[in-house]
Amino acid sequence: MFAQVLTSGIATGCVYGLVALSFVLIYKATETVSFMQGELLMLGAFAALYVHEGLGWPLIAAAGAAVAGMFVFGALLERGVLRRAIGQPHLTALLLTFGLGMMLRGAVTMVPAASHEMHRLPLPFAGAHIGFGTVVVAGEHLVVIAATALLCLGLSLFFRLSRAGLALRACSENPRIAALMGVSVSGMHTLAWALGAALAACAGLLLAPMTFVFPGMGLIALKAFPAAVLGGMSSLPGALAGGLFLGVVEAIAGLYLPEGVKDATGYALLLLALLVFPRGLFASRRAP
Amino acid sequence: MKGSLLALVIGAAAIAVLGTSYALSQFAFVATWAIAGLGLSLILGQAGQISLGHGAFLGIGAYVEGALAVAGWPAWASFPLAVLVAAAAGWVAALPGRRLGGMAFAMSTLAIALLVEEALVRWEGLTRGAAGLAIPPLQLFGQTVSGPLGQFVVSALLLLVAYGCCRRWVGSRLGRAWRAVRDDEVAAAAVGIDCGALRSLAFVLGAGMAGLAGALYAHWLAYLSPEQFGLQLSFELLMLVFIGGVGRLSGAIWGAAVFVALPQLIALATDLLPARWAAASGTETMAFGVLIVLIILLRPGGIAGGRRQGRREAG
Repeated sequence: MFAQVLTSGIATGCVYGLVALSFVLIYKATETVSFMQGELLMLGAFAALYVHEGLGWPLIAAAGAAVAGMFVFGALLERGVLRRAIGQPHLTALLLTFGLGMMLRGAVTMVPAASHEMHRLPLPFAGAHIGFGTVVVAGEHLVVIAATALLCLGLSLFFRLSRAGLALRACSENPRIAALMGVSVSGMHTLAWALGAALAACAGLLLAPMTFVFPGMGLIALKAFPAAVLGGMSSLPGALAGGLFLGVVEAIAGLYLPEGVKDATGYALLLLALLVFPRGLFASRRAP
Repeated sequence: MKGSLLALVIGAAAIAVLGTSYALSQFAFVATWAIAGLGLSLILGQAGQISLGHGAFLGIGAYVEGALAVAGWPAWASFPLAVLVAAAAGWVAALPGRRLGGMAFAMSTLAIALLVEEALVRWEGLTRGAAGLAIPPLQLFGQTVSGPLGQFVVSALLLLVAYGCCRRWVGSRLGRAWRAVRDDEVAAAAVGIDCGALRSLAFVLGAGMAGLAGALYAHWLAYLSPEQFGLQLSFELLMLVFIGGVGRLSGAIWGAAVFVALPQLIALATDLLPARWAAASGTETMAFGVLIVLIILLRPGGIAGGRRQGRREAG
């Protein structure tokens, strides 16, 4: 029982972590606090659903197409709208992303097929139970954990080995010096939003088999804020670790603490982390 | 002056289109939201702090007033108490601001608001769970305020008082100190301004006004449920202030008018649209999203702010 709750917590934590990752990626590169990651997640899941069920593509191809589509969508969004908020106060950019999120949520809700029926994205191994000795875990949780691990491996290779990844990191550290070294800062902003949207879409695809696909599924992104703050707001591995930590703590709180405490733990942890560890749980002891 | 004339014209048009009693009840809501918006405008526009959880203070005010009214307290005792409790909550919410700044502090207000919402949802003894809490009509000086006219007069008078107070604060030493903290915290501290205390004061006053609006709202709606005071409301209040104009107090009133009028306009417009779109439930969300995006991109100073950057002066 405990192992099952733990894997379910880790799987949920992976989704939190991925959303937090996309949030921190955008925050670090563009200084924009994005309140639309949940809507991007929802849109990614619906895009995959449409390509799979509407156009009849196989599931893997549909997932790939949805993520690629969201990558392009994120880039277009930055080029078209979000670029204008750079240099404005934090709150302006925050409300701009919130407004865009409302537009996306409203637009999807207006499609009758999306809001009137419950949808489920069929994923491999969903419903299967895999036993390790006496421990039985749900197949979809293992798929989510494995997919997150692969995704993170890919991302870390991208950030370490590729020119674009290095440039994006340089740009997050210090845009002015990066520009002096020949990095196109505005191009990196576009890349950050594209990657952020694609990552959110991945999180949506992984969340889809655990919940239904519906216009309000983006609410889970609210848990990404505690995850990002626990990770220190500026570290990508920290965001993922923060998400995992939150997922596991919530699962354990759901097991041992009274009903309702589970949903509040994330925000209580957020408050605690801000007051006690303002630079995140995983910050190094060196001065910044 | 031009603004007040325009407001009169719009008000008269609303009465002509909607009918007197319906228009008056809508005006009462405009005045109520405007009181909450004024409070948030002090925090955002004057002190330059971000409150992502202002809806929670409204909820606290509404539930304190609701519970006391159900228990039979007279309004002259329960209203001040509702305002005081909300203001105290504002003081608590500003405590992390002693250590945190900028976005981290904004995150802490978000966390507090979400915790308050969760607490309201779980505290079924107060909120009556899914059934909701029914609130008796407002009793004032032995009279029952239940008609649209009474509701309008009470909220308009309170709005007038709130607006007058805000005008005085903003024009005084306090307002100048707030704007100094907003524009440059280090410089403000260097000339002897206690930034932490001023931030707290902005939250206390802003939350108190939200509590007053919440108390009125409880009576006007006659029914409370915790979902009304969630994150959605907090962001709607932010949008209200932003649409009206952050830098000006009158922006809160304009924002409130738009906020109440937009769903009505959409209801009118959906009668004209083909049935396929009219039945869609996302129209309102979409319209608010489009409006806030357009305002930020095209008129960053809000409706009251004019074309110039509207953050400088208050009035």
